[in-house]
Amino acid sequence: MKPRARIHPWLMLGPSLAAWTLFVFVPLGLAAYESLFAWDMLTDPVYVGGANYAAIAESGELWRILGRTLGFSVLVVSGSMALGLGLALLLDRPGRFFAFVRGSIFSAYVVSWVAVALLWVLLLDPDRGVAASVLRVLHLPRVGFLTDPHAALVTLAGVTIWKITGYAMVVFLAGLRAVPQSLHEAASLDGANALSRFRWVTWPLLKPTAAFVATTSLIVSFQAFDVVRIMTGGGPARATTLFVYAIYEQVFMNLSVGRASALAVVYFLVLCVLAAAQLRAWRSQAVGRRA
Amino acid sequence: MSASRAGRVTRRAFVATAAGASLAALGGAVGCKRALRDDRGRVRLRLWFSLGGRNREVLLEIVKRFHAVQDEIHVEPVYQGDYFESLAKLRTAIAAKAAPALSHVVAEVVPYLARAGTLESLDGYPGMREIPFVAPLAQSGAFRGGADRPLQGIPLNRSTPLMYCNGDIFAKEGLRPPTTWKEMLDVAKALTRPGRWGHEVPISWWFWVALVGQAGGTVFDESGRATLGDEAGIRALKLWQDLVHREKVMRPPPGRDYDAWNVVNQDFLGGRAAFIWTSTAYIRYLEDNARFPVIAAPLPRDVRASVPTGGTFFVVVKQAPDEEKAAAARFLRFFCEAEQAAYLSTRTGYLPITTPAVDRMREDGFFTKHPNDAVAQAQLASVDPWPWEPLLFRIERDIVDPRLEEAVLLDRDAAGVLAEARMLAARPG
Repeated sequence: MKPRARIHPWLMLGPSLAAWTLFVFVPLGLAAYESLFAWDMLTDPVYVGGANYAAIAESGELWRILGRTLGFSVLVVSGSMALGLGLALLLDRPGRFFAFVRGSIFSAYVVSWVAVALLWVLLLDPDRGVAASVLRVLHLPRVGFLTDPHAALVTLAGVTIWKITGYAMVVFLAGLRAVPQSLHEAASLDGANALSRFRWVTWPLLKPTAAFVATTSLIVSFQAFDVVRIMTGGGPARATTLFVYAIYEQVFMNLSVGRASALAVVYFLVLCVLAAAQLRAWRSQAVGRRA
Repeated sequence: MSASRAGRVTRRAFVATAAGASLAALGGAVGCKRALRDDRGRVRLRLWFSLGGRNREVLLEIVKRFHAVQDEIHVEPVYQGDYFESLAKLRTAIAAKAAPALSHVVAEVVPYLARAGTLESLDGYPGMREIPFVAPLAQSGAFRGGADRPLQGIPLNRSTPLMYCNGDIFAKEGLRPPTTWKEMLDVAKALTRPGRWGHEVPISWWFWVALVGQAGGTVFDESGRATLGDEAGIRALKLWQDLVHREKVMRPPPGRDYDAWNVVNQDFLGGRAAFIWTSTAYIRYLEDNARFPVIAAPLPRDVRASVPTGGTFFVVVKQAPDEEKAAAARFLRFFCEAEQAAYLSTRTGYLPITTPAVDRMREDGFFTKHPNDAVAQAQLASVDPWPWEPLLFRIERDIVDPRLEEAVLLDRDAAGVLAEARMLAARPG
């Protein structure tokens, strides 16, 4: 379609471009600028060049936060996808009972993060929680789900998976229902068993759905804040200090706007790299399909 | 008008109206200015506070009493979350020039806010310099050189760490509260059983500073360099590591900040910890909720006795309107009257902040009836003042606190952890 005037595309793009400029590009530019200063919002900023970046890199904090965040994302993405797909396959059946189960599982997704986090804090209390009671009944050793530095991140990932799996399941259910029944029938006639039908019929057609679920889960995992803030406060021993929480902690708790801005800039670059990798993966898939 | 002419709202008219309304709302919001007086002509004094539970009730009762004795000022108290959340909001509000006239902040923040030029000096307000504060709890004695500076912090709820022992457990075992580090270790060993820890304390800067002082160190030297206690700092950290990992007689409570403090209290009340360190602020709470006698004792000494002070100071924000600042000073004078200061202390466990309040409590026989409060009061003799150091709070929150937790939970090399902390403390940030 050819525009009647050269300005028309810009007029169409204008509102969203203005919003992006105001709420994304300008704040990002400001963050990049402020990352070059030592500033606490109250006293005059002191220019320190790249010292904020050097400080977070040299102390190893940056790599630890990055490692934790990526580890958390891997757990959340793989966990929510596997569980979502498994549940979708299991519950893709007619009847009120299955509808009720599907609804129950999805209900966690619509509950607020704060409520979910508070609920799990109670359930996982090492002395009085339900999880502790179960462990005691089974004569298993006491586990500090939120207090052991080796267990806390996995626990938070588990809670996040519990919360978002319902959404993944619903999206996978929609994907499953879009797979033509005739393909399954043809494969059955060719002697394919259930596993082969999933491997050669369902999964290839579910790939775009899976890519969508992976993307949304990745976004959720990188945005994780409420669950950290309420369940662990970034501890124990910083074991759950993920990127967004680290930025919040630097600016609001530690009074370091410069350090927080440096972290935000690095975070933006990490997201750019991930977005580019994902785009590339999608493009190669698209090229593969065309070929 | 095109919309009415057509009998229905056209798209263009709708967009124009919506844009106009948005601009008007925006303009209104930008131009809106808060009224200094309420509809009865009283000065509106905004007070941001971060006290919960009984402390909150006591503060609000004092506000109510203030309203009962005068009708020119109306205090508007607003709860702003815990100390750290409240501080974050206060800083942001100051930066946005929307801060309340009166708030309260943890002691270690006062030098930082003062250096930033955000605090009003209260010297010029009538009667403020004459308030007979208990020196170790006031700016003059809580900070090194605090008396030589403009008066910028008025003590609100002030405390020190205190040791609390489960009277039943100690009586059953025939033990007395430990008075030295060595005794503390022995008693903790003797009292640890399956399902019960001998000792528990939040792994936090405040208690570590107490240990550093007891080991003969200071966190800052006289020149303002963050030494973090040097050898004393290492000894303090190693003591915790030994209690947790080698002797296995102390539980590092889960959670950060006040979550961990709460766990310590609950473990103590539930009989899961035989003796704990926490704040004097919890005297009433622990006494009222324990099903056993609560026995308070001074913190044990190593080479000497030492405790830091804690709690918060009222501060008046410089950028607030003059009328509101004057109202704040008047409220503070009322707050510091013996009746109010004694009321806050007797109801909570925070230490009385003025000498007339102490005298009144003594005359009323309060310390005889409440020996735990007498112990807390006597321990004031061991207070080590904080340095007047603007970086104190950042070093506490950003550098030391998280490393203490890491060093204790993961049993990291204490000397290495503190050397790294010292290096980071010397950096701008």
